[in-house]
Amino acid sequence: MKKVPCSGCSLLCDDIIIKSDGLYIDEVIGACLKGKERFDQITAKNRILAPLIHKNGQLEKVSWDEALNKTIELIKDSEKPLLYGFSNSSCEAQLKGIELAKTINGFIDSNATICQGKVLEIAKETGITLTTITELINKADLIILWGANAAESIPRLLNKVLFSRGKYRMTGREIKTLIIVDPVQTASFNVMGVRDLSLFIEPNKDLDLIRALKEECCTVDSFPSEGVAGLDSDDLKRLLMHLSGTENGVIFIGQGLLSPQIESHVIKELLELIQLINLKQQKGRISVILLGGHFNMTGFDQVSLPIYGKNGGLQFNEGQLVDTNDTIISKIENDDFDCSIIVGTDPISHLPYGLSKKLASRPLIVIDNRKSATSHIADVVLPTAITGIEAGGLCYRLDQVPIELKKILNPPSKIPSDEELLSQIIEKLEKT
Amino acid sequence: MVEMVLNTVRMVDFDQAREHTFGDDKSLEDNLAIGIINPQDFKKMNLTPNLHLKLNNRFGEVIVKIKENKKIPQGLILMPVSIWANQVSGTERNELSLKNIKVDVELTKEPILSFKDLIKKIKRP
Repeated sequence: MKKVPCSGCSLLCDDIIIKSDGLYIDEVIGACLKGKERFDQITAKNRILAPLIHKNGQLEKVSWDEALNKTIELIKDSEKPLLYGFSNSSCEAQLKGIELAKTINGFIDSNATICQGKVLEIAKETGITLTTITELINKADLIILWGANAAESIPRLLNKVLFSRGKYRMTGREIKTLIIVDPVQTASFNVMGVRDLSLFIEPNKDLDLIRALKEECCTVDSFPSEGVAGLDSDDLKRLLMHLSGTENGVIFIGQGLLSPQIESHVIKELLELIQLINLKQQKGRISVILLGGHFNMTGFDQVSLPIYGKNGGLQFNEGQLVDTNDTIISKIENDDFDCSIIVGTDPISHLPYGLSKKLASRPLIVIDNRKSATSHIADVVLPTAITGIEAGGLCYRLDQVPIELKKILNPPSKIPSDEELLSQIIEKLEKT
Repeated sequence: MVEMVLNTVRMVDFDQAREHTFGDDKSLEDNLAIGIINPQDFKKMNLTPNLHLKLNNRFGEVIVKIKENKKIPQGLILMPVSIWANQVSGTERNELSLKNIKVDVELTKEPILSFKDLIKKIKRP
């Protein structure tokens, strides 16, 4: 029996117990559904165990030499290669990905760009107050899920931060208030207690609510006389009282707040609202945690920002970083690529059809451990070990805390890790 | 034809990553080619379980199976993130538009496109 961190989601729970003889995992104790599924991937029927190349309209098993040679050929033929994904890889693999992009004059971006990385981008202007899970376990008295269905996306989050009894508080769930702002009654609402507050906001009206709160916050002892965004004035009053009275509150920002038509304003104004409240607060503060799904979504920001001053969208030319505002979306949308290398993600399943069609129109190399919609259309598929089980490495939890993942088993068929495979590609490119 | 708002969402019971890892083409279609609506909307549209929903907007068109859930507000359709939902999502000013997407909804007896059909649509000839 040993305790290992879980790479099932971005919470990276470090209290999972496994029973293993080093060859197989016999038992997993303490993991949620997502964690359990992560460990089950080792023997999943759609696991990729050999390199594949598209031949005669279908993917065929080939040798590593043939697959790597084809990969090198596609990269060498490309003038504008695109690298995307990396949120399901370790930070070491992310660094190798950046090195590869630099070697081949490519553009590299992570999944965070279309997810929580956007909030950090906006926070460069406004500032942001972040916190950690440990701080919340020990001290939180107000937890707000805004456009975030934590019960399904990060299944053990609420166990940890809402139902825990903290080190510095003698009380637990009974003094913690949960507020959920969402148009849909998601599974997270099932844990609501009598002192909690359910706010069923009208779809796309988050900005109206934030602006109303900002206005009320700026006025001494002001309480809203009428409702906004489908919420009545009593609910608004309770929300305001909780926001201004919390000693240690947190807002979990979910995907529901990241809508493009208005998003820059929503996130910007929400961060401004938090600052406004914190300025007025006498006895505490409100912080933010971004709810990303992939287990190392935060990692790419941590790797890229200190070295290049940007948390994503790195364009290299002749080994140098080029100034650009491009993202993976603008690159595909504007047809500004001629080959793509997709690492540990499935853009065909999560990008709109228009972008998928463009992505599929050019040579595509997939590096992943399981079949996906993207692997179906790839020219070359290179399998890798499952990070957190068959390969170790550093990852960042959703609260920006580093967690070291461990290698528990050897990968089947001597499959390399993402980091090892990317190193092999760089080496081969340098030799040819 | 009714105008509704579409939100693409990630749900633990309708998860494309899980279906790709552990499922097959049939389970993918069964669990992901769905639109979840409020029972009141179901009644208003005179739906029956053998009919499908055809969603149409400036990004494209998709046919999905209907599921009812009283927790969904009226006028809203939820679709799990997948290759089916992607047919009617798009981009706005180089950013993804995955939520609050306007769609025209009508009833149809047309079949749902299979995973293989959708991949064929995307794939290079």
